[in-house]
Order: sequence, then C-alpha cells, then structure tokens
Amino acid sequence: MMKKMIVAAAFALGVSQANAQDFGSKELIDAANKEGRLVYYTANFAEVEQQVINAFNKRFPNIKVEMVRAPGGQLITRVKTEAAAGKLAADVVDHSDRALMAELVDLFQDYAPPNAADYIPEAQISPKLWPRATLVWSIAYNTELVKNPPKTWMDLTKPEYNNKQIGQVFAASGGTTWTRIMFERQVLGEDYWKKQAATNPVLFPSGAPTADSLVRGEVSIAPLLHNAIYPKQKDGAPIKIFFPPEGAPVNPYATGIPKTAKNPNAAKLFLNWCLSLEGQTFMIKELGNLTSLKVAPVYPEGFDPKVVKVWLPKFDEYVKYHAAWVEEWNKTYGYRQ
Amino acid sequence: MDASASWRTETIGERAGGIRRHAAATAWVVALLAILGFLVVYPVLMLLLGALTDTNPVIDGFGVFRLNIDNFIAVLSNPNVGEALVNTLIACGGGTAVAVIIGLTFSWIVVRTNTPGKRFIAAVSMLPLFAPPLVAGIAWVILGSPKTGLINTMFKWMNLDLRVDFYSLSGLIFVFGVYYAPYVYMFTASALRNMDPSLEEAAEVSGASAFATLFSVTFPLIMPAIVSGMLLSFIVMLGIYGIPAVLGAPTNISVLTTYIFRLTNWSPPLYNTAAAVAIILMVVTGVLVWLQQKVLTGRSYTTVAGKAFRPRSLDLGRWRWFTFSLAIVYLLVVVVLPLLALIVAAFRKFMFIRDAASLVDMRQYSLMHFNAIFDNPLTLRSIYNAVEVGIITAVVGGALAFAIGYTIHRTQVTGRGAIDLLATLPVAIPGLVIGVAYLWAWIGLPGGLYGTIWILALAFIARFMPDTVKVLSTSFLQIHRELEEAAWICGKGMLGSIRTVILPLARPGVIAAMTLLFVLAIRELGSSLFLYTSNTMVMSVLLLDYYEGGNLGKTAAFSLVQTVLLGVLIGLANWLSRGAAQTSVGRTG
Repeated sequence: MMKKMIVAAAFALGVSQANAQDFGSKELIDAANKEGRLVYYTANFAEVEQQVINAFNKRFPNIKVEMVRAPGGQLITRVKTEAAAGKLAADVVDHSDRALMAELVDLFQDYAPPNAADYIPEAQISPKLWPRATLVWSIAYNTELVKNPPKTWMDLTKPEYNNKQIGQVFAASGGTTWTRIMFERQVLGEDYWKKQAATNPVLFPSGAPTADSLVRGEVSIAPLLHNAIYPKQKDGAPIKIFFPPEGAPVNPYATGIPKTAKNPNAAKLFLNWCLSLEGQTFMIKELGNLTSLKVAPVYPEGFDPKVVKVWLPKFDEYVKYHAAWVEEWNKTYGYRQ
Repeated sequence: MDASASWRTETIGERAGGIRRHAAATAWVVALLAILGFLVVYPVLMLLLGALTDTNPVIDGFGVFRLNIDNFIAVLSNPNVGEALVNTLIACGGGTAVAVIIGLTFSWIVVRTNTPGKRFIAAVSMLPLFAPPLVAGIAWVILGSPKTGLINTMFKWMNLDLRVDFYSLSGLIFVFGVYYAPYVYMFTASALRNMDPSLEEAAEVSGASAFATLFSVTFPLIMPAIVSGMLLSFIVMLGIYGIPAVLGAPTNISVLTTYIFRLTNWSPPLYNTAAAVAIILMVVTGVLVWLQQKVLTGRSYTTVAGKAFRPRSLDLGRWRWFTFSLAIVYLLVVVVLPLLALIVAAFRKFMFIRDAASLVDMRQYSLMHFNAIFDNPLTLRSIYNAVEVGIITAVVGGALAFAIGYTIHRTQVTGRGAIDLLATLPVAIPGLVIGVAYLWAWIGLPGGLYGTIWILALAFIARFMPDTVKVLSTSFLQIHRELEEAAWICGKGMLGSIRTVILPLARPGVIAAMTLLFVLAIRELGSSLFLYTSNTMVMSVLLLDYYEGGNLGKTAAFSLVQTVLLGVLIGLANWLSRGAAQTSVGRTG
C-alpha cells in the first residue's frame, strides 16, 4: 500500500516536472522554488485572482503568492509612493490602465515570456509590460425580469428599456470602462451616448457592484466585463450574456516585474505561467477572459469570432482623448464629478 | 548657627524640589507634544502640503513644490462640492438629531427608571457600535432598496400599499441616526449614573413633576455629556464612508466622504484635490469643536463629589412596559432586521428574490459563500491581523489617551491647551485621506515602520485619539478635585493619587475607552487602505474587497464572521471588566 502511494506520488511529481519545464528552464524553476514566494499587486478583483493563484499553485505548489489588491487609482499611488521611498514591495505589478502604467515603465525590468512571439504586438505598450489578462465587454440581462432581451449595443438606446432598467459603469472609473466609452463613440456613433443616456440608466462606480445589482434585480440589463458576470452565470444566477455583433471592446492589462523585485525568479515563473497557453486557456475557460495571443486556444462560451469582431483602442487616442471625452460623457449622463 | 544652617538647607531643598517638579512637568509636556507631533502634526502638514501643490511629496521630493491654491479654487468653484457639502450637513445634522433622541431616551430608561430588563437594554443600546458602517449599509440595501428590498417584498406579500426607499437622504438620516446613537448613549448614561440625585430631589420637593424635573434639572445638568455625545456622533458621521457609499450611490447622492473616495479612485486619481476637500471637511469640524468649547467654558459641571449616593430610579408604573417595548423596537431595527438580512444574503445562493414565497424556498440556501471565504487564505490571516492591531491600538492608545486626558483636565501645566488641540485635530480628518497623509509621512522613515502591523496601529491610535480622550474626559470632568486633594493631604504624591483615586474612579471610563478603541480599530477601513501590505491585510480591507468584488453573498458571510468575532471579544472584555466595575461601585457607594 505504502509502496503504491510512493510510486503514485513519484509518478505525479514526474509528470508535473516534465510539464513544468514548459514554463521556464530548470534553473529558473529551482531558483523560484528557493525563493518560495512572491508579492503580487493587482487591480483585478481579488476573487478572480485568487482562482488564478490557486491554478498556478496546482502547477507550482511551493511558491506562495501574496496578493495586494486595490482599485486602479489607489494601486498606482501605492506603487509610485513605495517606489519613490525605495520600498516597493511588489514582485509583479498587474494593472488594467495601460496609460497609467506607461508613466511607470522605468520602474520595470526587461522581461519576456518563452512564448513572447505568439502575442499580438498592439496589445503591448512597452516590451517590458505584458497583457497577462485580456478582458472583454459583453451585455448581460436578468432572465427573470427581461422578457424581450436586447440583441445589440444599439438596442440599449431603445425607449422600452427606459427608466432605470439599464445599469452603466461611469466613464471615470478606470481603464476598462474607458475602452468601452471610446468604442461607443468611435464605432457606434457620436450621438450614441446621448441616445443611451436618454433611457435614464443607473450609474455604478465599477463593474462588480453592477453585476451584483443585475443578479439581485436592481437593474435588468447592463453592459459588463465578461469576467465580472460570467462566474455568476456559471454558479447558476438567473443571467444570460451575449456579445453584441457591432464589436467587443477588449482591454489588455499591462503587467511587469519591477527592477527592485526581491523574488524575481518566482515573479518570472508566475508570469510565464499566466502568459502560457495553459494559463491563458484557464483564464478564458474559468474566468471568461479573452486572450491577446495571436491564435486563441479557445473562446469563452457564446463568443463566436466569425460574428463578433474584437475592438482594440489605438493607444495614442486612448491617452489623448481621455480627459475631454470623460468630461463630455459626464455631462451627457448627468454624472456629477 | 546650626538652626540657621538647617533652615537654609530646607529652603534650598524646597526650592530644588520645586525646580525638579517644574522640570519634570516641562519634560512631560514636551514628551506628550513630541508624540502628538509625530502622530498628528506631521501627517497633517503633509496633507496640507498635498492640498497646496499638484505633486506627491514622496515621489517628487520636497524640493519641487509648486505652492499654489489651485486645488482649493477648483474645489470651491465646483458646484458638486457645494452640493456634497449640503448633503453632508443635512444627513449628519438629521442623523445627529435622531441619535440624540434615541441615545438620551435609552440612557434615561437604563439609568433612571425601573423598566424591566435594564441590563439587556443597556447592552442593546451599545450593539450598533459593533456594526462596521459598510456592513450596516449593505444590510439596509438588502432591506430598504425601493426595487428589491425585503421590506418592500414583505409589504407586497401583506398586500399593503406601502413602499420604503432607503436610497435617499431620509434613508441616510435614519440609518445614521440609529447606528450612531450609542455615542450619545455612552456619554449621557455615564453622566446620569454619576449625577448626584439630591438636585433632582430638591426640584421635586419644590413641587416640580417628574417630567419637568427631567427637562429643567436632569438634562441641563448633564449638558456637557449631551453636547459631547452630539458633537462626537456628528463628527463620526461626517467621516463615515460605508453607509453613504452604498445607500447614496444608486441615486447619485454624494456626501463629502464619498466624493473624496471617488477622487482617489478615479483614473488618474486626484489626491491633491481630495486633500483640499479634506481640508474643507477639517474646517467644518474645527468650527464645531470650537463651538462646543464655547458652550462648555465658564460652567461647572462637577456633579460627582466625595459623597456617597446611588442614582434613583423612577417608578414608571404601567409605562415601564412601554419603555421596554421601545427597546425591543430598537433592537429589531438595529440588530434583528439587519442580521436577518445578512443571514439571508450569506446563506442564499443568489439574492434574486421574486416574492415572499421564494424567500423561504430552502433549495435556494447553501453554505457556498462561507466555503468560498474560508478557502481564501487571506480570510484567516486578516482576522488574526485585525485582532492584533485592535489589541495594540486599545492598549497603547488607551494609555496615551489617559495620559493626555489627565494632563488636560487635572493639571495646570503650561502647554495643556496645545495638547488638547492636537489631540482633537484628527477628528476632523476623514480616514481615507489621512491614510494617504500617513503613507506620505511615514513611509520614508528609517526603521521599516512601513509594512508592519505597527503602522496601522499608530494610524488608528492617532485617528481615534479624540474619541478616546473624549470618552475619558467625561470621567475626569466628573471626579471632584476634593478627592484628589484628600489623597495629597494624606501624603500621596501625584502618581500615588492617580493610582489610588483617579484610576479606580475612572476605571469604567478607561475600560469603555479601550473597548471603543478596539472596536473602532477592527472596523476602520479608510486609513487602512493605504497602509496595509500583503502581510498585514486586515478584515475591513478584505471586506471592502469582497464588496467591490461584487459578491453580496460573500460580503454578507464575511460580515457575519466579523460581527460574531466582535461580539465574542466584546463580551469577553465586558466579563473581564465586571469585577473592576463592581469594586468601584463598592467604593463610591
């Protein structure tokens, strides 16, 4: 019995060793295991990232990932302040707003994953920062409340969805929402905001409370980041999600390893895994992300690349238009800033 | 010759003693001022600098300040700030009025009447303090939402044509009022308990009715306690983020704290503007504190003398069941209903509730949210960290507050006015912004304070100094000098009289202050947000994470865990302090 177990354990170990080599050289893995931990700063939701960490730990159980999660603006302030005081604790910084990260590029060291060539170059704003996660917008509705569901982005301007049925995340909330706002104006038309705002939607500070309100029935329909609502649908909430045919705005993250990282090998191994085919597939299947790999291994449920075109903002416009357009959006939606 | 020599030595000895005492007093004041300087002045200066520039003092260095008042102009000329200020004053003013009515009523019921179950009512009156604002807000969203609230679901089920809408200013006033009544209760109950009843007896002998006595003698006599409680509850409401954040957000009602939070949360974040808004909030509070001082100066409120008495209790007759039922209603509103709402949310898979029948459909319930939160290794660590920070804050902060309170109220040393002012200042700064100020101020210090539990504890000690000193001051104010003088005459030194007279008499106050500190430290969210690191994550931050992560079920489950934990710890503190309270009653009675 004992012998059997030892054999089984050795076999399991052997298998994981063999696969583990795909994520880095033996030297890197040994060095990472020796460090045994890494500090991970992220602007993504803690719940979602905990699942990523658990999946990583199935592969590399000896590396403890300590997460610090904060909303985008606060995370940037923390990174800047810690760095200035020479006390940046992060081994990996993961952020949704590439414009904010662009200002900090000098803090980061050179890094590229083994499969660097497989990534779409436009998803990167610097060779040091990688699209660890790529989030995509969708529209979701509560099936208990909506009998005649919308089918397109334009449907969200219909009077039948008037009077606080639709929930919207306000423009200034961060990088991912800003991407959607740009998409609406550049693809759906300059007057889209005006028409949509006329339905008198409920405004939310971020995607997560919007998704929660949708499940509870506080609002009936909402444009949402797919990864904010997909897990709830998977758990059985009365929700349906679709990707509208006019396009799917996507927001790649910018993730890198600071020059001052105390556990650089563990950090590299963690990012190598996240950016690997295995890591990206996990995030697509379990969390509902897309990927910035040139060839997607799989698509999230309901996403048909033949029908829905992915929309990526031009980075110079992403930076240039931000202030003026957000202000205009606030005026249009009567959001008091 | 001999005699004159000995006379001379005596004088020199006395003089030396006087000088020594004087030197010791000066050293004491300097030490206290230095501590407060580090804890309060330095971070506030950083905040002020932040408000006057567009730079981050740590990042850009101290050399490159472009001092200007652009932030203030931007803030003052922004009509939304004005609107947020007006909303703030309405919500906090209304909330305070409700809190005073509730707090004063219950302190009178508990201390001065023969209402049955007084111990129980006393406990109920303090219960809302356990509830972190975010938790209370969430519970009232579940109960009071105009669309999906359980109260409205119940009204519908009972075929009543009634609807409640807590996403409104009146909803905010109600929730503020019921949750911050304990501040008024705390002050007024101890004042009523320590009041000499002979004054009331005199009024009644002169023919005043019990009711008239209440308003002409009792309440005016405990006015400092009422004003202090009122002021403190108002100021605490000014700084609360969780309740207006969840109740105000759906209808875009903003108050100053939610406005500040939004400024720090935008992309890019506007900390310097937030600092300017915070300074406006500080000015409002400063004016209030000044008003309170003005109201209180020139009057003596000493009512505890070296004479034995027991507080009287009024025989209410049949009305005592009415006062008892008031307590039950209060319990229902602040504890039972919100707790039920949280329990439903924590055990229910999804919070979509079609009708009353679906509410009791057991297939909808499971332990999945509890399993999820305890699968997360951060959950246990955050609990451990929060308790550790709470204990450090309570012990160190309690001791410091006692030293400050004693110096302000029981000595005549020069510089005590400055100490009083500095110890009151943090009350005016919202936690969220002071978190940034502490980060700016302390991160660069040598010795690695940043990243430890201690930076959180120090921030909490500074932030809650005013609350703690206020709670203690009431006890100090009421202990008559004659008791201390008696100790001096009996040959006790100052330290001796503190140990044998002040400490035992003020013990209920000291324990109350430390318990309060503990609870506040565990609940505190705003200033933690910038000071925690991966190793020092605390419960309140994790709770916000769960809330912002958009999972009401997990948020409710973790809220329940936090509530139970606080309940157990406070019960323990109460049990530990019971012996002490009994001894002190024995001594005075």
